[in-house]
Amino acid sequence: MTMLRTVLFATLLLLPACAFARQDVNEPLDAELIRSLQPGKTTAREVVERLGAPTEVVQLGRRTAYRYDASTEKSTVLFLLLINFGNQDLRTDRLWVFFDEQDVLTHHGAWFGTHRTQYALPWEDVHEASDNEARDADRPGVGQ
Amino acid sequence: MRQAAAKALSLVLAALAAGCVQGSYNRATVDEPLRPEWLRQLQPGRDSLGDCLQRLGAPHRVFEYAVEADGRSGMALLWIWRDVAGFGIDVSAGTKEVTGSVSFDFGDAELPGCVLWFDAELRLEQWRNGTLGDLLPGRARPSAWSAQ
Repeated sequence: MTMLRTVLFATLLLLPACAFARQDVNEPLDAELIRSLQPGKTTAREVVERLGAPTEVVQLGRRTAYRYDASTEKSTVLFLLLINFGNQDLRTDRLWVFFDEQDVLTHHGAWFGTHRTQYALPWEDVHEASDNEARDADRPGVGQ
Repeated sequence: MRQAAAKALSLVLAALAAGCVQGSYNRATVDEPLRPEWLRQLQPGRDSLGDCLQRLGAPHRVFEYAVEADGRSGMALLWIWRDVAGFGIDVSAGTKEVTGSVSFDFGDAELPGCVLWFDAELRLEQWRNGTLGDLLPGRARPSAWSAQ
């Protein structure tokens, strides 16, 4: 009974002292759509029609490159009487598409990370390889 | 003397209890470092841009590099990450609301990162790990090459 009271008291004491927040910027990139891009064939116009407006356009001499990105951030804060513990974890999806001077796709590279973001306390290591692999497997087009 | 100490102590305790002054331990992580085994596989002079993108994924930034007179240019690809943790003291004065959010500050010379440089044929010239301050040159305008 004393144990139950202690647990209840500790829970009541800590519950109002926790905060969770999430912040998303842009929609996560569609891995399956990105797979449909064909170097030597897909044009800049077709890329924009499929993916929308890029975040950034970079001139590289005669070539150009477009950047698409999205991010997810998860924050956790534990407020105690004398000390706070906070953790912010931000992961991004990134896609760069490179075009030649005729605006035909020559290369593209992608990274998918938004689904790996986690709520955690600052001493936890939540991005172990097995953890990432399990999350990758749940995201269409990424885990294969 | 004893009264003054007691007053100061009670003020400190009141500030702590009200949450005006608190100790904190915070950690902020942004993306993941490139794995050393991936970097060890890079072969300057042999690997192409496509090989590197396939192995390392998309970089955070791409820069123009070694622009030639005819407009041909190489490029530099930058990956960065952040994992910082530490103790601090939070003082809340109630003057301005501050939103909690982490992000990259590309002006932060101490951020760790990695840059790959490619020549105009898009062949890997060299790569280097380090801090942003060491890896990146100062800001420059893009080249003025034009097809006309």
